[in-house]
Amino acid sequence: MEELVIDTKNLQKRYVTDTVETTALAGVDLKIAKGEFVAIMGPSGCGKSTLLNILGMLDSPSDGTFKFLGHDISRATERQRAKLRKENLGFVFQSFNLIDELTVEENIALPLAYLGVSKADTTKRVQEAMERMGIAHRRSHFPQQLSGGQQQRVAIARATVSNPALILADEPTGNLDSVHGREVMTLLSELNDAGTTVVMVTHSPSDAEYAHRIVNLFDGQIVTENVNVKRHAAELL
Amino acid sequence: MLKNYLLIFWRNMTRNKVYAAINITGLAIGIASCILIYLYVQHELSYDKYFTKHDRIYRVVNNLIVEDEVEKASVTHAALAPGLAADFPEIETALRMINRNKQVLRLDEKAITIEHAFWADSNYFEVFDYKLLEGDPKAVLQEPNTMALSKDVAAKFFDDPMKAMYSTFRIGSQSYKVTGIFEPVDAAHMKPNVLTSMSTLPAEVRQNFKSNWFGTNSYTYVLLSDSKAAAGLQAKLPDFVKKRISPARGNTTERVELHLQALTDIHLNTDYLWEAFPVGKKSYIYIFSFVGIFILLIASINYMNLATARSVKRAKEVGLRKVVGADRSQLILQFLSESILLTVFSVFVALLLVELMLPTFNSLSDKNIASNYFLEPIFAASILGIALLIGLISGSYPALVLSHFKPADVLKGSTTPNSGSAVLRKGLVVLQFTISLVLIIGTIIVYSQMHYLKSQDLGFTKEQVLVVDIPSGDTTIVNQMPVIKEQLLKNPKITEATTTVMIPGETTGVIIFDVERNGTMAEKTMNTIFVDYEFLDLMDINLKAGRNFSKEIATDQENGFILNEAAANVLGWADPIGKRIGFSDTTAGRVVGVVKDFNYTSLHSPIEPLVIMLAPQNNGYLMARVSPNGITEAMDHMQETWSKFAPSHPMDYFFLDESFNKQYRAEEKMLTIFGYFSLLTIIIACMGLFGLASFTAEQRTREIGIRKVLGSSVSGIVMLLTKDFALLVMVAIVLASPIAWYGMQQWLQDFAYRTPISAWVFVASGLVALCLAIVTVSFKAARAAMTDPVKALRTE
Ligand SMILES: Nc1ncnc2c1ncn2[C@@H]1O[C@H](COP(=O)(O)OP(=O)(O)O)[C@@H](O)[C@H]1O
Ligand SMILES: [Mg+2]
Repeated sequence: MEELVIDTKNLQKRYVTDTVETTALAGVDLKIAKGEFVAIMGPSGCGKSTLLNILGMLDSPSDGTFKFLGHDISRATERQRAKLRKENLGFVFQSFNLIDELTVEENIALPLAYLGVSKADTTKRVQEAMERMGIAHRRSHFPQQLSGGQQQRVAIARATVSNPALILADEPTGNLDSVHGREVMTLLSELNDAGTTVVMVTHSPSDAEYAHRIVNLFDGQIVTENVNVKRHAAELL
Repeated sequence: MLKNYLLIFWRNMTRNKVYAAINITGLAIGIASCILIYLYVQHELSYDKYFTKHDRIYRVVNNLIVEDEVEKASVTHAALAPGLAADFPEIETALRMINRNKQVLRLDEKAITIEHAFWADSNYFEVFDYKLLEGDPKAVLQEPNTMALSKDVAAKFFDDPMKAMYSTFRIGSQSYKVTGIFEPVDAAHMKPNVLTSMSTLPAEVRQNFKSNWFGTNSYTYVLLSDSKAAAGLQAKLPDFVKKRISPARGNTTERVELHLQALTDIHLNTDYLWEAFPVGKKSYIYIFSFVGIFILLIASINYMNLATARSVKRAKEVGLRKVVGADRSQLILQFLSESILLTVFSVFVALLLVELMLPTFNSLSDKNIASNYFLEPIFAASILGIALLIGLISGSYPALVLSHFKPADVLKGSTTPNSGSAVLRKGLVVLQFTISLVLIIGTIIVYSQMHYLKSQDLGFTKEQVLVVDIPSGDTTIVNQMPVIKEQLLKNPKITEATTTVMIPGETTGVIIFDVERNGTMAEKTMNTIFVDYEFLDLMDINLKAGRNFSKEIATDQENGFILNEAAANVLGWADPIGKRIGFSDTTAGRVVGVVKDFNYTSLHSPIEPLVIMLAPQNNGYLMARVSPNGITEAMDHMQETWSKFAPSHPMDYFFLDESFNKQYRAEEKMLTIFGYFSLLTIIIACMGLFGLASFTAEQRTREIGIRKVLGSSVSGIVMLLTKDFALLVMVAIVLASPIAWYGMQQWLQDFAYRTPISAWVFVASGLVALCLAIVTVSFKAARAAMTDPVKALRTE
């Protein structure tokens, strides 16, 4: 059997605020195998980000089980989750989320710092990541001095510098024009080709084209799952 | 990773200069105040610890008890030291010091008045191991006509003070060879400038000292062989009194009790009369320590409040760090290291401030603290410890708040995360202002009490009175006093002249009188002063009954007594004139007059019974009342007269009101220092308020914009932003008033005459704090209110 990166059963998430209770996830069963590229689509407010946050262990489910690389997350402590996160995960957000007070280079190096990677190694890997993303010439700029596309490339560089097993991307092209959006998608599928599992939330059908599988979410539940024939076909050729 | 934290810290500081400035200035001022207070307290607590045998040295003091009256006296009988040394083997050695007060030291043509000269026994330097720059501790005061000088005194006569060694000075009729020069010790309860050898005293005087159990003139110190022997020795002292003292004294009604006082206890724990130097007050140490802690607290609160208020701005960073794998403890560590870094930085600024303020502080507090204090390892260690502690305390709450942010919440960007409890922040602001207000109200009450004391009707007129210290022991001058007085009055600017043994403000003598009571004679202890014929007139002391002393009535010299009202009352005499009063061996003494009560000691205490006796031949001071418009002329005349009659003595003079007010010096010193510190607390608190107001204005930019678009005026918006803060200050006023009232009520207990604490003090301090707060906040609010609304709404 294929190794599963993600395996959830009956995943639920409810938000209780004052008087209202919102059900963001209403029982999600999702299995994602190593090396897959999965796109999650659905209307605004249907629970996509909530799902992604739970998969990224930034949030915990109200109910259901979640196994990450075989570890039962519902029983993990905060500290264990932080460890799993830094060793296996990379995040890309719609709003880039770079630290304003750090330069491009320092932002990218941050995950390695928490991993305790040696200085020499860090320099080398940050250099590689920057070159891969084509931002090496901007190394000592601060985020505000970069365009949106450049910022997102820095964010991807940061997400990948630690060679994570899984990349979670929440509308990574949402704040970008189509040219830069396509660039980002190319980078992501290249990473996927190199073996990294990618889970991406998107509104754009054309972005979803890059995925192997498209999961459609509606009111907190998976309504359809489609295999992307085109991509599979391309791979088979 | 640490480098990363440092980077973020540094960039945050440089990008938010106002925030950084508020924090660093506040903390630096707070820490600097704390260091100064620490140095002060440390200095107060270090008294006499300089001497290596300090734990074995005790001072012997005595309570002289008559009936139910106890006089606690630090001076003892001259026979005590030799007696104790002979009787108790646990006493290694005992020594006496006898105060010679001010003396004129002469070397060739040079004559300088030196204060604090003492007779001392020859073992003085063995017990008190001053650093002897010249001389041998065992030999210094052995020989007759030898003396030891402090380096400072030697420096008054020689450019190189060491040159004073072996030169021969004159004091009065005696000459003394300098056999030792010592480095003076600042933190010591006795700070002698000159020590003359006890063996210089004539043989008959020394013989008398050996058996004199009547007059008390000596400070007695004992060096024990073991510090643990003190309790045992104390237990044996009543027996010593019974065996040695009581028989020698015969049947007096006065009882003697002896007590051992640990040397290091004397400065702060003594309430004995006749101390040679002013003693410290433990309560001031507590007050100062509290003030120091409060200032630091207020500065730390600024950090806490500003850091949590600002936390919104750092929410994204926290979220991101968590996303890339930081766990909570790492984030707590990061924020704690930021606060610790900030305090460490502030410590350096504070040390600079201390360096700048130390001279002023020294003169304010009458201390002589050298700036080499931070070389002491204890100081360096404790300052580092304090920086860490402040960093931890002030950083822990912000660290907890910040590290608690959930990335899923904060990275969405639309909702503002919960930046800690706003209630807590408000509570802390209230705390800051409460403390500041308590200090401000306290300062005002201390000030008004001082003013009240100085403006009290003392029952005599202390202004325009020049006092000249008559050199003791020079009988030729004393004998010439009547002539000198006459000569002084020749100048029209001098309206009156008299001599007196004691001037108001000094401690009086205490004598046991025999007084007439229900037909028989009974003993009664009362305060006593000896004056000259003109004393009452010169001092404007009013007679209530009878008459003043008169030169025409020869019996006044021996048998005339004047009482104050309090004495007449306590003796229960409705008509005191002619009542019998005197000493056991005379029967002719009569009350000739009663004066209205006047405050002859200080307004700390109520007016006690007083007996005024005539002693024109036995004087300590020469007093002259001068016309207000002729002070210089009067002084010139006085100087001229003095030089004529007492050419060998420099005229040592002062004004009576100044010397009388000197007794409030401790309070005045406290007032000044207190005043400065309360000013600092309110400044720091306002700085914090300014910072908070900035963030509130920033956070509400959008709201302000919308309100303006909807038609709100600038003043309306300023009101909106200011009223919350004003409310907090008002709460602080309500809290601070009773606390301050209670505290100051306690402080005023020290005075027999107290200023009433009026409501305006609270109202005025409250208004001042409120105005300061409103000005601070509205400055920020007005800027926010005047921003173009379009610009405000665009920033999102
Ligand atoms: N922290 C929260 N508190 C309360 N409700 C929330 C919170 N986060 C999300 N929700 C609600 O959960 C639902 C799903 O949100 P989300 O996962 O962000 O949707 P999507 O990403 O698909 O647009 C929405 O109805 C949203 O209002
Ligand atoms: Mg979303």
